[in-house]
Amino acid sequence: MARKRGRGMAACWYGIARTAVIDRAAAWAELDDGGSAKIVTGVTEIGEGILTVLAQIAAHEMGVKPEHVVIGDNDTARAPEASHAGASRQTYMIGNAVALASREARKRLVEVVADAWGVEADTIRTGNGEIWAEHTNHRMPMGEAVHLSKSRGVVPVGSASFGTDTTGLDPVDGSGRPWQAYVFGAQVAEVEVDTITGEVQVLGIWAAHDVGRAVNPQGVEGQIEGGIVQALGQALMEDYKLTDGRTTTSGLAKYILPTALDVPRVNSIIIEDPDPIGPLGVKGVGEPAMVPTIPAIMNAIYDAVGVRITDLPATPEKVLMAIREKEQRNAMQA
Amino acid sequence: MPDLQFTATINGRKVSRNGKPHQRLLDFIRDDLNLTGNKEGCGAGECGTCSVFVDGVLMKSCLMPLAKAQGKTIETVEALAKTGELSVLQKAFHKAGASQCGYCIPGMVMAATAALRANPFADREEIKERLGGNICRCTGYQKIFDAVEMARDVQNGSLPATALFEDEAEEGDFIGKNIRRIDAPSKVSGRLKYAADMIMPGLLHVQVLRSPHAHARILSIDTSAAEAMDGVEAVITSADVPGEDGFGVFVNDQPVMARGKVRYVGEAVAAVAAEDPLIARRALGAIKVVYETLPAVFDPDEAMRPGAPVLHDYAPDNVTKHIPIRVGDVENGFAESDLVVEEIYSTQPIEHAYLEPEAGLAYVDHDGVVTIVSPDQNVTHHRHMLARIIAKPISKVRFIMSPVGGGFGGKEDMIYQGMLALLAMKTQRPVRLVFTREESIVSTAKRHPSRTVLRMGLASDGRIRAFQMKMLCDGGAYGLSTEGVMRKAAILAAGPYVIPNVKIDTIGVYTNNTPSGAFRSFGALQTAFATESHLDICAERLGLDPFQIRRINAMRDGALTHTKAKLGSVSLTRALDAVEKASGWETGAPVSRGASRSDLNSDEIRPPCALGARFAAAEKQEAAE
Repeated sequence: MARKRGRGMAACWYGIARTAVIDRAAAWAELDDGGSAKIVTGVTEIGEGILTVLAQIAAHEMGVKPEHVVIGDNDTARAPEASHAGASRQTYMIGNAVALASREARKRLVEVVADAWGVEADTIRTGNGEIWAEHTNHRMPMGEAVHLSKSRGVVPVGSASFGTDTTGLDPVDGSGRPWQAYVFGAQVAEVEVDTITGEVQVLGIWAAHDVGRAVNPQGVEGQIEGGIVQALGQALMEDYKLTDGRTTTSGLAKYILPTALDVPRVNSIIIEDPDPIGPLGVKGVGEPAMVPTIPAIMNAIYDAVGVRITDLPATPEKVLMAIREKEQRNAMQA
Repeated sequence: MPDLQFTATINGRKVSRNGKPHQRLLDFIRDDLNLTGNKEGCGAGECGTCSVFVDGVLMKSCLMPLAKAQGKTIETVEALAKTGELSVLQKAFHKAGASQCGYCIPGMVMAATAALRANPFADREEIKERLGGNICRCTGYQKIFDAVEMARDVQNGSLPATALFEDEAEEGDFIGKNIRRIDAPSKVSGRLKYAADMIMPGLLHVQVLRSPHAHARILSIDTSAAEAMDGVEAVITSADVPGEDGFGVFVNDQPVMARGKVRYVGEAVAAVAAEDPLIARRALGAIKVVYETLPAVFDPDEAMRPGAPVLHDYAPDNVTKHIPIRVGDVENGFAESDLVVEEIYSTQPIEHAYLEPEAGLAYVDHDGVVTIVSPDQNVTHHRHMLARIIAKPISKVRFIMSPVGGGFGGKEDMIYQGMLALLAMKTQRPVRLVFTREESIVSTAKRHPSRTVLRMGLASDGRIRAFQMKMLCDGGAYGLSTEGVMRKAAILAAGPYVIPNVKIDTIGVYTNNTPSGAFRSFGALQTAFATESHLDICAERLGLDPFQIRRINAMRDGALTHTKAKLGSVSLTRALDAVEKASGWETGAPVSRGASRSDLNSDEIRPPCALGARFAAAEKQEAAE
């Protein structure tokens, strides 16, 4: 059989938000005319779907629908600081800041409405664009409630900052508290190795990742699938080559990336171990999703053909050479 | 050459205009017609984001000279949702979550449309093959395949059109729900404007002169001939920086443009703003730079040796950052171990390859605020740095984030925004810079290549007694995120395992290679590759299943990390249990047992790729008929 199958696994952990410094993010929220909501924060949508996540959080907290949430553009002259897009931090840092700001805006509105209805504020419920008081006939669309609030001189706004309780590392022994939220994960890879060409195909990945609380499960899967395929590129094909500081892979014709034909089927398993510190329980997934993939693939190659690749990428040439060397070793021993 | 009288039918309208003979179809569509839905990703026909229909055939418009499109019928992504209503396929992309950064998506939607036109019953394997000419760096493709299959089924009537609608959320509970992405309609339709799609009245175009040398002293730069050229508005060099010149993420060691010396091939040396990109490019050729080449160093081991060429005065040993972590005493740990295994692991530099090459605009507004619009992953920090560089108060510096067409850490560095600011200030006109793919690859950061020596000692029952790792990373010519990458790599190096004796050293070193910087997973990927490969080697030697050796050592609730931080809840064993169960893992030591294991080939893997799937499918269909 020229094509051999094998499986491997690997585990990972990761810290959420900036490392060994105090991280922080702020947001402003407003329940706006017509029952829409406005969020302004220095968020950076880099493709992970953070705008949708923030809209869901704001909608959930303020009782409107996500499609009625408007998120202001990231602009240092117009939006409060939310720091950078990286460190798997945006859902954790900015999501929690938006939740807190939204709660404050909602509280302002609820106090006015409770007073108008003559009920206790804690009996008021909001959701899906409506506001009502439990066990009463009081109910109105959010747009009317905002109008009522403004007519009594109150604009329902809120602001919040979310920060982490973290420390730097000791310069001698590295001790310190670099993060307040950690995530864990594990992946299994199944590969097929062609022993004639050395080509490795990753056919399947099972990926279990703790994300704290998944605001948008489809988005979490998207992060896991995309992260795995980026790692697969590094595992098997990508290689930025330099000769005396000059690259020989300066275009996408020479720098080889995974295409639709290279990718495994990814089976994501979302684990929710809520963060006890932030108001939402969310953590993050963007980076950890790609951490166990490479060793899982390398362990699977070993399982399939008995060669251990320790020098990335595991190109067909390298895998084939390792198989040949192993065969020669076996022949000499025999 | 004379202009080209160009006539074609574009998105249903007859277009007759003067074109330039050097233009590609893509340039004409984007620059002359301002149809910016289709993007340029590589300029070489490799990525497919510029894909359009020419007489109904899917073509990469970056490869088609304008003259070749003469008289043709052309459809861009804008044609698919011309009335404002998205096509079934675009709606399916929205519903399936098939777009992330969105930059590849216009081309992907075109290719998928072509696939379903060619075969309305295409199966998943055929769909993959028909999308094989389009690269996506974000999604991992899976949700794109899902979307195309969904659209196929809706078109064929086997799935109701309501499948494309938003899922219902009860009682306003929107957390944990697959709410469709709010930015997807703008991405699948091509309506979203990335920086390279934006124009402003009076816009000038910027080109950058880059170093051909890995290490050289700049003896002189003569810009006078370039400045005298018709259409050139300004030329800048490091002499134009009014403030404290230097940017970085942890150490501000990189000047906006090379100052006195160049340290890597592709480093910016000067920049030109001109009326059009061609004039700017020609002006680069008129800038005369006299270099004196210096000895260079390309290997991190050599860079640390005494007498090696020194890149930065502040780091005479070329060490950018060394992070140590110490727990217990590893020598004791090895002494009490039953098994000690040592291995060397190495990883290569990796390009982010976001589909959107760097691009940005800058202008000085009516209040004298220097404003930068760019796909920037860290506007907060960049505002601080730029204010210092151009010697203005922070209130006079404004960063606006344009949609980011993929970042992955690569757009955390302020690699070009400084030049844009200086040119906007010098010309008092809006300026725009759009990198070519080649420029993006040579001048921006890579994932740190690494060489790791890992030694692990274990008791015969599988408990890890000692963990010693030394990882040396090539940080390239400038610091960028190297310090942070070394820190995160070190903290996470030993994995989520309880180990009484730990000695970890991660060292980032300056060389004259392309700088290394932030890249999704920030050092953890390199160390995890070593540690998690190593655990399997040890498991084989001890006859333990890979899950078992990890469970034996797994951190549990309340564990102390290797930096002595106390954890709360630890979900590691939950993740191990979940993935073991989901994959149907067959227990056993990792002794190359692929040939004998029974858990392979479930229905949760894809079939191996066999090129020609679509022809096989077509034959099967023919036979059935």
